[in-house]
Amino acid sequence: MFRRALLPLAALGALFATQALAQPKTEITFARFFGACEGDYGTSQDVAKARGECGVMTTLVNLFNATNKDNIVVKPQIIEWGPYYQQLNARIAAKDIPTIAVMHAAQLGDYTRYVEELDGVLKEAGIDAADFTPNARNAVTVGGKIYAMPWDTHSWLWHFNVGLFKQAGLVDAQGQPLVPKSAEELMAHAKQMKEKTGKPYIIMATSGAGDFANGARGYYSWLYDQGGSIFPNGYEKADFHTPASLAAFGVFEQLAKNDYITKGLDGSGGLGGFMNGIGAVYMTGTWRIDDFLAASAKPGGALSEGYTTRIFPNLFKNQAVWTDNHSWVLPKGGSTTPAARKAALVFLKFLWDHNFDWARGGGHLPSRQSLMADYAKLPLRQYVVDIPSFGRALPHEVRRQFGFQNMIGEEVANIVNAGKTAAQAADAAQERSVALLRGR
Amino acid sequence: MRTWQRGRSLGDRLLLAAVVALAVVWLAPIIWVVGLSFKPNEVLMHSTGGILTPPFTLKNYVDILAASSVFGWMLNSTIVAFGQTILTLLIASLAGYGFARTNFPGRNALFVLVLAALAVPEQAIIVPLHTMFAAADLHNTYTALIVPRLAFPFGVLLMTQYFRAIPPEIEEAALLDRASRLKVFFRIVLPLSIPAQATLGIYTFLHAWNDYFWPLVSATKPAMYTLTVGLASMQTNFAQTEGIGFLMAQAVFAGLPVLILYLFFQRHIVSAVAGGPLK
Repeated sequence: MFRRALLPLAALGALFATQALAQPKTEITFARFFGACEGDYGTSQDVAKARGECGVMTTLVNLFNATNKDNIVVKPQIIEWGPYYQQLNARIAAKDIPTIAVMHAAQLGDYTRYVEELDGVLKEAGIDAADFTPNARNAVTVGGKIYAMPWDTHSWLWHFNVGLFKQAGLVDAQGQPLVPKSAEELMAHAKQMKEKTGKPYIIMATSGAGDFANGARGYYSWLYDQGGSIFPNGYEKADFHTPASLAAFGVFEQLAKNDYITKGLDGSGGLGGFMNGIGAVYMTGTWRIDDFLAASAKPGGALSEGYTTRIFPNLFKNQAVWTDNHSWVLPKGGSTTPAARKAALVFLKFLWDHNFDWARGGGHLPSRQSLMADYAKLPLRQYVVDIPSFGRALPHEVRRQFGFQNMIGEEVANIVNAGKTAAQAADAAQERSVALLRGR
Repeated sequence: MRTWQRGRSLGDRLLLAAVVALAVVWLAPIIWVVGLSFKPNEVLMHSTGGILTPPFTLKNYVDILAASSVFGWMLNSTIVAFGQTILTLLIASLAGYGFARTNFPGRNALFVLVLAALAVPEQAIIVPLHTMFAAADLHNTYTALIVPRLAFPFGVLLMTQYFRAIPPEIEEAALLDRASRLKVFFRIVLPLSIPAQATLGIYTFLHAWNDYFWPLVSATKPAMYTLTVGLASMQTNFAQTEGIGFLMAQAVFAGLPVLILYLFFQRHIVSAVAGGPLK
C-alpha cells in the first residue's frame, strides 16, 4: 500500500526534476536608461499599445521574459540617464559588468576597448547588418568594425505652429509653412513673424543644464550644412574659427540680436511655451512629434490651427543634420557563461525584430532600412524619413563628444542669453576645447 | 519704561514680520513642489502655473509606489543613514576626545592632517576609493555604502572643539577617583556633549540620506539602490519636460521620512541648533 502511494509521487518528482534539468533559467543583465514605469507598464506585454521610450522598453522586456522558449530571464538594471556613463565606467572598473548595455553612438568611440566587436556575432544571432540604414551603419562602425547593434536614429527638427505661420503670411498655397533656405531668408521670415504676430520666430530652451544640447545640435546641423567640421586638421586640435563655424554661431547671434529667438527659457518653459503659442518654431527632436500632434488635436489650443514638422532647415549648401543613435553593446566580460552569451544573442535578435515598435512608440527613426517604408506611413514621418541618408555626427575618433556638445551648447546659450558675439563664442569654445582634448 | 516696552514691542513686531516674510520666501518653493506633485504630467507640459486649480491627481505617487523595489530602496537608505550616523558619532566623538584631552606624540601633526582632509573634495578621492572597494569585492554591500563616509573630518573638528570647551575640572575629579579615561568619556563627557552630538547626528543623517554619487557608483544592483538612486532611475530621459509632476512627487516622497523624523525629534533638533554645539 505504502509502495503504491509512493510510486506516483516519485514519478511526479522525477518529472519536475527532469523539466528543471532540461530548462535551466539563464539570467542576463540589461543596463539601460529610459526610466522605469512599472505603474503603467509593469505587466504589459502589448507592445502595440506602449507609448514613450520607457513604455516600449518595459513592455518589450516583459514580452520577452514571458514568451521566449529558452527560459531566459532579462533583468533590467535601470539607471538615470544623466550619470549613466559614469556608472557604467565604474561598473567596468569594478568588473561588475552588465550582459547588454545601451550606448549612444556619440559615446561608442570611447568604449571600443571595453565592448565586443559584433561583426560575426550579429550574423550568429541572425541579425542582418546589410539592413542597417546608412546612418545606423556609421553610428556603430568604428575603424571598419561593428561594435554595437543600432537601435535607432534620433535627430533635430523644426516643429511649426502653423496657425502663427498663417497669421504671419508665411505659408505656401497648400497652407504649409515656408521653410527658409538661407540665413538671410530666415532673418526675413523671422522679421515678418515678429511684425505680424509680435512673437519670436524660434523657441529654444537654453537655460537649464540639460538644455545645452539644444544649441549644440543646431550649431552642428548648420555647420554640417556647409560641409564644415570642428576638426578640419585632425583630431588633436579643434578649430572653431573656420568660416563655417563662425557662420553657424552667427545665425544664433543674428537671431538673438533681433529678438527673433526666446531667451532664458528652460526645457519645461520651451515645451510649454510652444504648446501655448509663445513662438512659431520649436527646435527639438524627432521624439516630440506625437506629443504635438496630440496637442494640435485639442480644440482651442495654441496648436489647434495646425502643427507640422520638418527636418532642421538647410540654410547653406548641402542638406545635413545632426544625428545620434541609441545602440546595444555587449560589454567585454558581461557574459559570464556560454549560456549567458547565447541568451544575450537571443535577446538582441528579439530587439532587432521589434525595432519598428521602438520607432513607433519611442519616437525615433528605425535603424533598419527595411522598416523605412512603414515608418513613413506614421503621421508626419514622411517629412523626416530621409534623415538617415544624410544625418551626420562627429567622427568616432573624437573623444568626449558629450563634453563637446555641452560646451558648444553653453556657448550658443551665451550668445542667446548673454549677448556674446559669434567671434567671442568661437574664442571661448576654442579655449575650452583644449581641456576637453587633453589626455586624449 | 512704557516707551521702552512700546519700542521693544514694535521691534518685536518688525522682527516677527521679517521672520514671517522669510518663512514665506522659504516655504513658497516647497509648497509649489508639493502642489506640482499632485498635477497630471500632461497638464504640466503646457504650464507649471496654477497649482491650486484642478485637475489634481494621485497618479504620480501611485507610480512611485508601483515600483516593486521602492520600499527596499527606502530600507537601504534607512540602514545606511542610521549606520553612518551612529558610527560617525562614535568615531568622531572618540577622536575628538582624544585630540581634546589626551597627549600623545604627533597629536598636533595628526590633528592638522585631519583638518587638511577638510580641503580634499570628494571627487578627488572617488576613483581610488572605488578601486579599493572593487579590489575588496565590497561593492553592492552595506559596508561599501557606509564605511567610506565614516572618515568625516568636520565631525572630528566639531567634537574636538566641543570637548575643549568643557571645563577639565569635571573630569579631573573622576580621574582622581581612579576612573579610566574611557569610563570618564562615556559616563561624564559624552552626556555633556549631547547638543554637539545632536548637531553632528542631524548633519550626518541628512548627508547620508541625500547622498547620491557614491551610492550610484557603488550600489549598481537595483536591489542595493538607495532611495535617491532608485527614484532617479525611474525618471524618463525627458523627465524635466514631460514628467514634472512625477519628479516633484519623487522629491516629496524622498523628503517625507526626514520630515517625519523631524516632527518626532523637533524639540531636540531645535534645541541642538539653537543651543549651538560650542556653547
